[in-house]
Amino acid sequence: MNSGEDKYKIMLSGYIDGELSSDEKAELEMHLKTCSDCRKELEVFQELKEVTGAMKYADIPEHVWDNYWRGIYRRLELGIGWILFSIGAIIILACMCYGIFQNFFLNPDEPLILKIGVGTIILGAIFLLVSVTRERIFAYRRDRYKEIKR
Amino acid sequence: MSATRADDNNLIAEIVDGDKTAMRALVEKYKRKAYFLALGMVGNSDEAMDISQEAFIRVFKSAKKFDQKQKFFPWFYSIIANLCKDDLQRREKRDSKAVDLEESDFLLVDEGNPETKLIRKEEAAMIRKALSELSFEDREIIVLKHFRDMSYDEIAKLLNIPKGTVMSRLYYARKKLAKLCHELR
Repeated sequence: MNSGEDKYKIMLSGYIDGELSSDEKAELEMHLKTCSDCRKELEVFQELKEVTGAMKYADIPEHVWDNYWRGIYRRLELGIGWILFSIGAIIILACMCYGIFQNFFLNPDEPLILKIGVGTIILGAIFLLVSVTRERIFAYRRDRYKEIKR
Repeated sequence: MSATRADDNNLIAEIVDGDKTAMRALVEKYKRKAYFLALGMVGNSDEAMDISQEAFIRVFKSAKKFDQKQKFFPWFYSIIANLCKDDLQRREKRDSKAVDLEESDFLLVDEGNPETKLIRKEEAAMIRKALSELSFEDREIIVLKHFRDMSYDEIAKLLNIPKGTVMSRLYYARKKLAKLCHELR
């Protein structure tokens, strides 16, 4: 297909959507008189438009729309709740780990760099644990196929 | 500046200040549009509901970053489109195949004649199947034109592309859709 034909083919879309200027429309109509390829494609596109024109999305019940805002608000509140929960869980787990490794951290014979390293690993593990747990819970709540055995 | 643009941008400014009534006003104004756009992309009412609500939450969370010189809706639409893409990728990864559009989410405009209705029903099933096989970008342009009935100007503004690109993207998407329908016949 040469670039001229390419131009006319693309114009077919604008033609069926009524988006061409009168000059473009006249130019394309002139071309259609001599090009069976474009005429055939135009027919296919018109049929496609006709079929999709007979389809529309099903609306959802009005009470669902009425509760739409409430759903968003609840999710916003849940988001804040999850942030607070995560911070609390991290603090408690960090305190518990400090209790378990207290002797190590308070031992003056242990090098500071080692204490920093161990402390960072523990904090990292706690962050990961809280984050993965949260993600798992989110994924479980969103999974519509959880009742189906794979 | 158009009234809608000024209204939307005022609402965003109020949302930045933490005004919940402004949040609600924005939701009431765009909830149906957001839901039906998402439905067109992901083809499932539950997922579309989830995505449209999540899109509003992202708007509220990132309202401060919104450039007041821009129009609200194209920005909002880009959030919806990205969420739809993520959702489709997640579902395709899980099911290892293209996500089918659900029959229950489409209705047929009443044609009266039972025979025509039956033909239309079969054609609609074919279109649904073919749409689900298209790439996100092709499906997006088809949905905006065929199912949201937007003009080229509106699509160009929404996707931030020239009007000529709308026409060419539509041409190639229609060509692929027609080819898929032909193969399904």
